[in-house]
Amino acid sequence: MSVAEMPDWFVHKKLRGNLIVARWVPAALVGLPVLVLFAIVVYPTVWMFYHAFQDTNMMRLFQGNWSFVGWDNFAAVLSSGRFGDSVLHLMQYLLFGCVLQVILGTILALTLYEVVRKEWLRVILLIVMVLPMMLPPSIVGVLWKFLLTPSNGAVNQALLNLGLIDAHVEWFNAGVSLWAIIIADVWNWTALPLLIVYSGRVSLPPAVYEAARVDGAKGWLVMRRITLPMLKEVIAIAFIVRFMDAFKFVDLVYVMTSGGPAQTSELPAYIAFQRGIREFAIGEAAAYAIIIFAISAVLIVLFLKYLKKVLKAQGFA
Amino acid sequence: MSEQSARLVRTLLLIFLGLWLILTLFPLYWQFITAFKSAAETNRTIPTFWPEVWHFENLAAIFAEPSNFGALVDSFIIATGNTVASLVLGSLAGYAFARFPRQAGGENLAFWILSNRMFPPVAVLVPMFFLFDAMPWGTDSYLSLIILYLVFNMPLATWLMMVFFRDAPRELEEAAYLDGYTPLRAFVKVTLPLVLPGMISVAMLCWIFAWNEYLFANLFVGTQVRTFTIVIPTFTHGSQSLWNLQMAFSMVAMLPPVALFILLRRYMVRGLSLGVVKG
Amino acid sequence: MARLQIEGLCKGWDFPVIDRLDLTVEEGEFFIVVGPSGIGKTTLLRLIAGLETADAGRIAIGDQDITTLPPYKRPVAMTFESYALYPHLSVFENIASPLRARRLDKAAIRQVVTEVAKLLRIETLLDRRPGEISGGQKQRTALGRTLVAEPQVFLLDEPISHLDAKIRHELRLQFHSLEELRRVATLYVTHDYAEALSLGDRIGVMGHGGLVQIGTARDVFMRPRSLFVAQHLGQPAINAVTAHLTGEGAALHVRAGNSSFGFPVVAAHAAALGRGGYRQVTVGIRPQHVKVLRNGEDAPGHHVIDGHVEIYEALGANGVLVADAGGVNLTALTSLERDFAHRQPVRLALQTDAVFYFHADSGDNLLL
Repeated sequence: MSVAEMPDWFVHKKLRGNLIVARWVPAALVGLPVLVLFAIVVYPTVWMFYHAFQDTNMMRLFQGNWSFVGWDNFAAVLSSGRFGDSVLHLMQYLLFGCVLQVILGTILALTLYEVVRKEWLRVILLIVMVLPMMLPPSIVGVLWKFLLTPSNGAVNQALLNLGLIDAHVEWFNAGVSLWAIIIADVWNWTALPLLIVYSGRVSLPPAVYEAARVDGAKGWLVMRRITLPMLKEVIAIAFIVRFMDAFKFVDLVYVMTSGGPAQTSELPAYIAFQRGIREFAIGEAAAYAIIIFAISAVLIVLFLKYLKKVLKAQGFA
Repeated sequence: MSEQSARLVRTLLLIFLGLWLILTLFPLYWQFITAFKSAAETNRTIPTFWPEVWHFENLAAIFAEPSNFGALVDSFIIATGNTVASLVLGSLAGYAFARFPRQAGGENLAFWILSNRMFPPVAVLVPMFFLFDAMPWGTDSYLSLIILYLVFNMPLATWLMMVFFRDAPRELEEAAYLDGYTPLRAFVKVTLPLVLPGMISVAMLCWIFAWNEYLFANLFVGTQVRTFTIVIPTFTHGSQSLWNLQMAFSMVAMLPPVALFILLRRYMVRGLSLGVVKG
Repeated sequence: MARLQIEGLCKGWDFPVIDRLDLTVEEGEFFIVVGPSGIGKTTLLRLIAGLETADAGRIAIGDQDITTLPPYKRPVAMTFESYALYPHLSVFENIASPLRARRLDKAAIRQVVTEVAKLLRIETLLDRRPGEISGGQKQRTALGRTLVAEPQVFLLDEPISHLDAKIRHELRLQFHSLEELRRVATLYVTHDYAEALSLGDRIGVMGHGGLVQIGTARDVFMRPRSLFVAQHLGQPAINAVTAHLTGEGAALHVRAGNSSFGFPVVAAHAAALGRGGYRQVTVGIRPQHVKVLRNGEDAPGHHVIDGHVEIYEALGANGVLVADAGGVNLTALTSLERDFAHRQPVRLALQTDAVFYFHADSGDNLLL
């Protein structure tokens, strides 16, 4: 039937709800949570967006006499070397923190699933490997700060005893302190990608593997051609989860180095935090937050689009 | 790939796994022995890998002070309260998104909800501080943190519950309607039981996050309400941190999340796999 | 009087699926809707059940207009193509579900459920879960759930399509014998015409948004109103040959294009065709009306035509032969003992008095 021949009732069809649930129900179901989230998030967001363009600081906030400064805050942030450095630090962290965690987590998860045969052993090992995630990041920071104390930390002592180094490593010197943070973070959070990939692997359909076995494929071939492609999406999501958290990353920096020494281990979110909460340059902190959020949002959306394309090409999405 | 090289790879992987286990356990081991050292021993120039004397009374000392146990209780109240709220709100929204995607606002709304997890904390901290200050419950209360943590936990709960509800076949609800059940009764009889394992995994994730949170707690509460995460740094002698007490307390605080994981790990794995693989 | 009445039912999404459909199913009648997959049979059931909202039209059961009632208020019970059994509940609880909705007391529930289970011969499975029982048993559980609800209309959506042949046969017999089903209006949907022919009091062929023909099974099979109907009832499908009529008056002849295929029109048909002045037609010959003659065999009253074998398949109870007869491919049914080689010459006898003539464009049966 061409469009011209559509029956009258179809042409004048009104969109009706279904009979089961009143039209307002879905809206109400979503309405309450969205309302709550709105109140909790929209208000700060709006507040932030507003004050990012003002010269607000604590005193002016209380006195109510802040004034509009246009893009000044943003300009100040983007032109500051401090911000630029923190972005470099962030890259370093993303590469060695985020990416490393996902790679490690994947290798460990797949090793745990494929190589460890006994079920009870797998359970025990999984529990052990997940323990670091159960500690608050603030405590993890304290623990590693303690461990990495150059003069009498256990790590340096152990490395000395094992003959791997000759003198204490100055973990908290400029240039090294960021690595200390990265080490602590990797220790703390590798368990999450591990858990995600492991769960993904557990849920893969056994039928595919049986078919592979019948075909005579095994070992690395199966891994490369079957397991990894099927887990691509899972690994990507593990990466996104850690990536999203990385941009907010403040606890460890705050506890271990306070961004130091001399701002050599600062990350953007931490600077925002410092400027906003400690130094009360609220307007500038708001600009920071917006910039950080914008960058992360853009990156994630791009990554998701790229991911969708890759998966579609392989017939997954 | 030959049989031999396959075995070689397996062995290498096992070694790698073993190394990682050592790396994982070493700090935990250190935490454990530090908990039972004396304060002096923890500050030695050459650290000891085994306590000279086992000071079991460290733990007792901590809990002799009732406010410390109270901190654990406070953390518990906040974590549980927030988990319940996140789960309820997340389930409502998740169900709506799963069953009525269009009417519920579509993909855009869902993405916006999820994106909230990406906010840098400072974006929420300052405005919320002033907002709560003006509210009847103030900043230093259970409610303030319970509400605050919703910013991070509710989007996660919504997203995961949406996936779980999508997995519960709509046809089963329809069969229940034809059996004579109203939508609400059908939901309780059919959908809820199917989605329960997923809910457990979501609850676990939310609970552990709230239990371990430090930054917001540090800034918002401190007098009326104290979570264990902000109590631990207070174990100092003058300007010197009492590592042994801090480690002891944090070990105790680690027990609930670990116990939860051990008990509920199957749900966790299933929940994550459903949420992520199909998400 | 729990008669199911549907008037002018309309439903469409991106395009109309059900277009002004009318149907009346009497109380106690077993009505079967046949049609190809995707044509809207399930949509029809879902509209009656209330799982979809009609865009226009009216549905009534007895005196009650149920068009705007939600499904849980309609006196209707349905089995789903996928059975839709509750996986977390036992077979007993699955069957008991409608009774629990009405909050009957425990004893009453137990009694009714065991009775129905015995009737369907699944009483030993009551403690099992749906995941632990076979397809046929799942089907019977789903059926039990509808029986227990004692509705005024039964809706059965392809209940036995996914079961193997033997179980299908068993369940077909069971449908025949179930008193309960026979007491109330039943609407049964299937794509398998053999089921339709065997089970239905009346059948309706669904197509083009509505019921293209309604009648008894024999009726619809022997006197299809259109090519569409003829094509969808019958396995293998009817031979449809585009042809034109030559000759005049009582001496009409069928000729298919430039091929040598053709046969004389039987007198009775010629009269009807001549009256309408039709020239272009689609000729329909059922495979069972094409006999493959053995050597030396003759077929009086048939028109014999020569051809050679293209494909021969042994399928079930018959052999199916596709032969090229003068440029036109014809499908014929043979008995299984015969064997044929590719390109082997054969003689086909067409039962010309059982031939259908359909309008070249509209497909209407020109002889009705």
